[in-house]
Amino acid sequence: MKHQYIDGTLYFYFYGDLDNLTVSRLKDICIALIDEYKPRQVKLDFEGVTFVDSTGIGFVLARYKQLRKMNSELIICNLSRTNQTLFHMSGIFQIMKHERNGVKL
Amino acid sequence: MNNMTLTFPSRLENEAFARTSAVAFLMPLNPSVDEIMEIKTIIAEAVVNAMIHGYEQNQEGIITLKLEYDDQRTIHILVEDEGCGIADIDQAMQPLFTTKEHLERSGMGMTIMDTFADEFHITSGIGKGTKLEMTKKLHGTHESTQQ
Repeated sequence: MKHQYIDGTLYFYFYGDLDNLTVSRLKDICIALIDEYKPRQVKLDFEGVTFVDSTGIGFVLARYKQLRKMNSELIICNLSRTNQTLFHMSGIFQIMKHERNGVKL
Repeated sequence: MNNMTLTFPSRLENEAFARTSAVAFLMPLNPSVDEIMEIKTIIAEAVVNAMIHGYEQNQEGIITLKLEYDDQRTIHILVEDEGCGIADIDQAMQPLFTTKEHLERSGMGMTIMDTFADEFHITSGIGKGTKLEMTKKLHGTHESTQQ
């Protein structure tokens, strides 16, 4: 995972298999970075993600809740077609936007 | 008819092993890219449920994964644990229902398995464990099986 902070937006870029083990390793780092930067907006970029399951959805929902407490917004970026199908099942796009492209590293 | 059985302890790193082994076993059926993704996800959801809910993260619990396929390219998937069992299966099946929100679980695992599998059946007993039985028929490319 990589991240960058530009003009109030904190970007996270994920790579490879975002499975239960990977999420459990990245979670605390993401929580801490959000607390540190207190961004107005967070963008989670899934372009490099080859696998994601319900653990990934749980992680995104938890960051949404973390950000809502500081009145900040969460946006998902560049889900693959198959990953989008999976996220769609949870109804997650009713509470957050899905964007294509956007700012790269 | 072909089959394989894996047993492994409930350690998080074994989830990737389980889903990639399952897909490797099914390669002779030449599944499509979407089918591979769906099968990987089914196995991941089932195995993570056994680890986090069935065994409540006790790494000594044993999980069994059994796969079987036939000439019609129908795959039978069984994932079994001897963990705590599910108190209320109907509730567990509800999208977004989870007993472990503090662990950032989404409550989507069962819905995802139910959607990606053609048949989905749970047997569970409190203190006895949980058995998931699923079938999935492959429809994608299968030229290699006809050679």
